[in-house]
Amino acid sequence: MKEKNYRAAIKFAGASGQGINTTGQILTQALNSAGYEIFGYREYPSLIKGGNASYQVDFSNYKVNSPSKYCNILSTISENSLHKYIYDVKNNGFIIHDGDEIQLSTEEEIYVKKNNIQLIALNSKKIATNAGGTEIMANAVLLGFLWRILRKDKQILIDEIMEFFGEKKIDQQAEKRCILAGYENSLYRDTYSDNIFIPKPSILHSKQYAMTGNDAIALGALSAGVRAFYGYPMTPATSIYKLLGETSQQTGLLVKQAENEITAVQMALGSMYMGTRALTATSGGGFDLMIETISSAGMSETPLVIVLAQRNGPATGVPTWTGAGDINTAVKGGHGDYPKCVISVSDLPSCYTLIQQAYNISEKYQIPVILLTEKQIAEGLFSIDQLPKPLKIERGLEKGNKRYKITDTGISPRWIPSKSNKPYLSTTDEHLENGVSTEDAVSIMKMSKKRMLKMETLEKEIPQPQYYGNKNAESVFVGFGSVKNTILDAIKEYPNYAYLHYEYIYPLKTEQFEKLVNQNKRIILVENNQTGQLGSLISEKTGYTFSEKLLKYDGRPFFVEDILNFISE
Amino acid sequence: MSIDIEKYNSQHKPTWCPGCGNFAISMALKKALSELNIPPSQAFIAFDIGCNGNGADTVATYAFKGLHGRAVALASGAHLANRDFTTIAELGDGACFHEGLDHLINAVRSNYDITILIHNNQNFALTTGQATVETQKGKPMYALPGGKPEKEYNTNELILSLHPTFFAKGYSGDIQELTDIIKRGIKHKGCSVIEISQLCPSYNRECTPQWFTEHIVKISSLKNYSETSFDDAHNLIQKMIKEEKIYTGVIYENKNVKTFYENLPSRKSFTTELSEEVKEYNIKKILETFK
Repeated sequence: MKEKNYRAAIKFAGASGQGINTTGQILTQALNSAGYEIFGYREYPSLIKGGNASYQVDFSNYKVNSPSKYCNILSTISENSLHKYIYDVKNNGFIIHDGDEIQLSTEEEIYVKKNNIQLIALNSKKIATNAGGTEIMANAVLLGFLWRILRKDKQILIDEIMEFFGEKKIDQQAEKRCILAGYENSLYRDTYSDNIFIPKPSILHSKQYAMTGNDAIALGALSAGVRAFYGYPMTPATSIYKLLGETSQQTGLLVKQAENEITAVQMALGSMYMGTRALTATSGGGFDLMIETISSAGMSETPLVIVLAQRNGPATGVPTWTGAGDINTAVKGGHGDYPKCVISVSDLPSCYTLIQQAYNISEKYQIPVILLTEKQIAEGLFSIDQLPKPLKIERGLEKGNKRYKITDTGISPRWIPSKSNKPYLSTTDEHLENGVSTEDAVSIMKMSKKRMLKMETLEKEIPQPQYYGNKNAESVFVGFGSVKNTILDAIKEYPNYAYLHYEYIYPLKTEQFEKLVNQNKRIILVENNQTGQLGSLISEKTGYTFSEKLLKYDGRPFFVEDILNFISE
Repeated sequence: MSIDIEKYNSQHKPTWCPGCGNFAISMALKKALSELNIPPSQAFIAFDIGCNGNGADTVATYAFKGLHGRAVALASGAHLANRDFTTIAELGDGACFHEGLDHLINAVRSNYDITILIHNNQNFALTTGQATVETQKGKPMYALPGGKPEKEYNTNELILSLHPTFFAKGYSGDIQELTDIIKRGIKHKGCSVIEISQLCPSYNRECTPQWFTEHIVKISSLKNYSETSFDDAHNLIQKMIKEEKIYTGVIYENKNVKTFYENLPSRKSFTTELSEEVKEYNIKKILETFK
């Protein structure tokens, strides 16, 4: 495997409940403030206390949007996590472990020696309590020590931690003392810093925003004029609810935790019918419960937007791990034939923009729109200089006489219920132009065709998939969602590889794909699911059979090494 | 002064069986809206699936005929988006006590300012007479020639246990009383639950008009009954069980509970409705917290 030396990774690991996520986020934010491009990647079990949790930050002077499998520094605060992650440490890397000594198995000893890995035992819990902190502040000690190895200004880290805990009831002075106790610890040696690869900060990098994909979706929803959020907790969608709820006092958003997903989506549908913009977000299981309502939105031609945050596996699966296997349920779910739109995000700009686009499409075309994200994007921490400009709000409102008037585009007039407008019936029964139910054969055909005509109209409006990389590349990866981030990070130095990225999954545009096939490019399907669901959709439409598929469905995202290994094989 | 009741009718005639209680319930609702001077363009009715839902075609108000069991949830969302509308959810005992029971329970708990009309004909009529929880134990029903094997649950006890802010019972055979009850329900600020005993000549033949006449007692005939007393309501329901009677009228009203919307700190300073607020929100201030 060839690996370019432009990025480094630090992994924090411990048990769930030991503050791993918080510590990782603080380090990520601090590196961001120190001028790095960052990506924060979180692994955690579906339990509150115990198990193994980790937070890895990849940082570079180049844009990074994906995690690497191996890290340069591993910092562990529990025995289990030391032994679980030890083989993820790179050549010439470091392990900083909480404790007076580090005990390794013979096999681990061999790995450490062979890879010239330096071991440092730092009794951070004891150091923290000696500094007047609590045991959980061992994390601050470890952070301080790490920061020293990175040779960064201690004030940046202190500022970051103060800001992070700003509104929480935490002894900030004790946190500060613990950071300093780590930073100034006598175990530090200059050779540590000399021996480790530390990328230079980016020259162009100003102080950037660092946020998760879910944060960007929530912000996009606000920009889109969303005024109500109806939620029900389900990882990894829940943090959209968190940001919208925590800011509701200033935004005036109506936030409601519904009794279940069916209620949440029905309330959203009712609110959208009445003329506001409402959001609901869930994961696969909750989405499946919403499907009957999606079909009803399609039939009644009521706008509806749902964020579907995917995770690994069918049923409960591996709930806190990533995956992208819900294209089938998003595209094909729901009884009967009806128009809808499925869009997939990948990074911060797309999260922010596509949720707005989802509302514009949903209102203009009067169809349900499903916005796909993944745990990897939803909870991954990205940096960005500026979010894109907000989109113009387009609602397609038009007063009329017949709510389901048959038109050339399939789009009928839709107006917001109000005293001054003509009342109308929206219905999930097959109906005539005025909404009254019908069983007449000719009328059923006419209205079904009118509804489906919207798909043709929509297909003309949406863009082709995006092509990234060298035009003359012989090999082209094809994928959607978070695989874009890993592939683009990986192929930087490989001009013979390009990437075709699908944002609009349904309706599906295949002209550009077919052009690549006709140019005899080597096509490689890359998906974070077991069967290649996007590939199946493409095959269904084009008749093309994918001979090369890179599929990963072990709950992990594609690491940069996965793509680099593929290229070098 | 009231609005001409014809204004609430569309050009389409109902499709219910002759003698169906839905004719009267639909009439009582239209009368209530008319007498309260709520024009068709200020009323929103969420219809469920079932015989009553087939009435969606016959009204000239804003309406949404949705999915089975979901009328209350849909109405709740519609109501929160624009509280200037009088929002009604109409559904049968199948929709309310089977498919959508969770919505009823939680709408009462949240106390949305909507009115829920439960058309209780004690069976799934549109699918030709299956047993509901409300069908008497032992009664032969669709695919149950040996009779329904399980007991009913008492919907009065269930609803009262939720501490509703408005709970009333009506009868499709008494349009005037039902109209008055619906008017009270609409005027009540909070979630009004009105359970209506409904004639179903096709699948609930035992409960004839004669049967109802013998079993219905008006709450107004009770001396010293207080609608605002939870104890009176509780005792009345026990009395109904003991006497095997149906008491119609307002069972309980509590005007001192705030609605869901009124309890939202985020909406305190707003005078507009959510439906009027769709415009770009400037995220600049929130964005700063991500630096």
